[in-house]
Parts: sequence; C-alpha cells; structure tokens
Amino acid sequence: MKMSFRLLAAPVMAAGLLAVLSGCATNVNTVSRAQPQAATNYISDKRVVTDNTLARTVRINAINQGVVSGNLLKIQAEVENLKNDLRSVRYKFEWIDKDGMAVNGPTEGWRVLQLQGRETVNISTVAVSPRAVDFVLKISEL
Amino acid sequence: MTTIRFKTALLAGVLLPSALLITGCQTAETRTIDASGPQALNTGGINSQDWYAAADQLVGSLLTSGALDKAAVQPAVLAIDRIINNTQLNIDTDLLIKKIRVALIQTGKVAVTNTMGLGERAVVASEAAEMDEMTTGKKAKTPAINYTLYGKLIQQVDRLNGVTQNTYSFQMSLVDVRTGLTVWEDDRAIAKQTKKSTLGW
Repeated sequence: MKMSFRLLAAPVMAAGLLAVLSGCATNVNTVSRAQPQAATNYISDKRVVTDNTLARTVRINAINQGVVSGNLLKIQAEVENLKNDLRSVRYKFEWIDKDGMAVNGPTEGWRVLQLQGRETVNISTVAVSPRAVDFVLKISEL
Repeated sequence: MTTIRFKTALLAGVLLPSALLITGCQTAETRTIDASGPQALNTGGINSQDWYAAADQLVGSLLTSGALDKAAVQPAVLAIDRIINNTQLNIDTDLLIKKIRVALIQTGKVAVTNTMGLGERAVVASEAAEMDEMTTGKKAKTPAINYTLYGKLIQQVDRLNGVTQNTYSFQMSLVDVRTGLTVWEDDRAIAKQTKKSTLGW
C-alpha cells in the first residue's frame, strides 16, 4: 500500500511542477519574411561584460546604424531575452564626438525595457547633436 | 519605597532607550542622485526618468520622420504652442517641452521663436522688438514661422484586484503654418502599475 502511494505521488508531483513551470512561461513566437527586404547596416561592436548573469539573460544580437535628417546618427540594437520568462533590464545610450568627448544630450538617461520570454526587441535612439560619431550602449539589471 | 525606586528605574531603563531608538530612526538621510538614473524614485506619477524617456522618444520620432527637413528655410523656425495638461497631476509642462526644445536646437535643424505664443518669453520678445523699433525708427523683420508644435498630456487610470494602473500619454503634433497641415504626430505612452500593500494603513 505504501509502495503504491509513492508510485502515485511521484507522477502527481512531477505533473504539478510541470504545470507550475509552464504556467510561468510567457515565451514569444515570431514569424517574419524569409528573405528580408530591408537593407540593414549592421556594425561590428566591442563588448565589455562585467555582469555574467546579465550576459546569460539578455543578449545584444546586432547593432544597426543609420543617419536621419541628413547628419544625425541613429542606432538600433536588437535585444534578445535568453530566458523563458519576463525579464526587465535598464539601458542607456551615450554619444561620443570625433575627438572622443562625450556629447551629453538633454534627453539622455536610463530607460526600462521589458522582454517577454525569448522575445527579441529593437531599442533605438537618435543623436540630437550632429557632432556625435560614436556611441556606447550600457545595459544593466533592473 | 524599594518598589517605587524599582519602578522608576525600570521606567527610565525602558523609556529612555525607546525614546533614543525612536528619535534615532527619524534621522533624515539625503543623497544626490542622477535625475535620469536608476536611483530616481518610481511612483505612480510621472517621475524624472519618465520625462527624459518621453522627450527622447518624441524627439527621435520627429527627427526620423524628416518633417523638419522640408522647411523652405534652414534652420526651420518653430513656435511652441500650448501643451495641455489633462492629467490629475499638478505639473509644469516645461519638464517635457524644455527637453524637447533643447534637443531640437542642438540638432541645428530648428530655431525656436519667442515672438509668438504664450507666457513670459513672448512678452519679453515683444517688448524688445518695440524697444528696437523706438530706438532705430525701423520695424525689425521677424522671421516667418514655419512650424508650430503643440501637445497634450493625458492620464488614464485603471484599477483591478488591488492594482492601479496609470497610463500617461504624451501626444505631440507639428503643424506647417503655411498649409495648416499636421506634418508629424506621435503618441507615446508610459504605463505604471502600483499594487496597494495588504498590510498597514
């Protein structure tokens, strides 16, 4: 009798655990064109990782660069949540001029980004100064 | 007698440390933080970070649209129209509009005129023009305005299961004064959920 209870308890607990885990999942499925028509300008980047936990949670897949209004740099980063549940991070774009000096914009600051499980989101910003030629994207845990 | 002394000592022994403990807890601590940084207090209202985020999104959208590049003259002359505050918050809309003005001027695409519009700046500009006319005998030519920018802040409150959600919409439009047509518009929203604590008052 004791044996049969144990035999029954194990699958019930496993099923319960599975139900709880699947209940928490908020993963996102996506569909897009197989051969994209957009002409992207992905740039090579340099990465400095000081938080390994964050690097295992959220990944920057690519950085796309463009120019708007003739001479203003626009940067778009593709951010992916590597986990199966909702994650929130903070990010900030900073601009640098041709002499390596920081160009502080009046709207610069930390932003909050929420990503559903396995979701990929594009974050972007436009440099308000034509002097900006480079950028730094900072990302941290909320 | 001994009992009274004991009680007095007990009271002093209990009350004095209690009083010290309570007053000790009331010590105020102030620190300076980055207004646009992660340490900014997050409330159900529009906090400093939200103003920066809204201004950044609206400026980015306006510049990406290329609407300002179509002006007959460069930089385009822009007049700031009214920003209506339809929220329950008593806020100064310059918290948003000033950031947008500064950003647009930094781009070099826009010159903001003060000869039109409401408020102190328009009065000062008008008086300065009158003074100039009086001293020179000539009426100074003010540049024609290409665009006006107006906006509205709206708050929507939703409540469900002890959670209050405040959704703030930041709406902005750019109008070509020559044609009267809206050449750019955007609406950015920031939603904040506050859960009421089940404990306490």
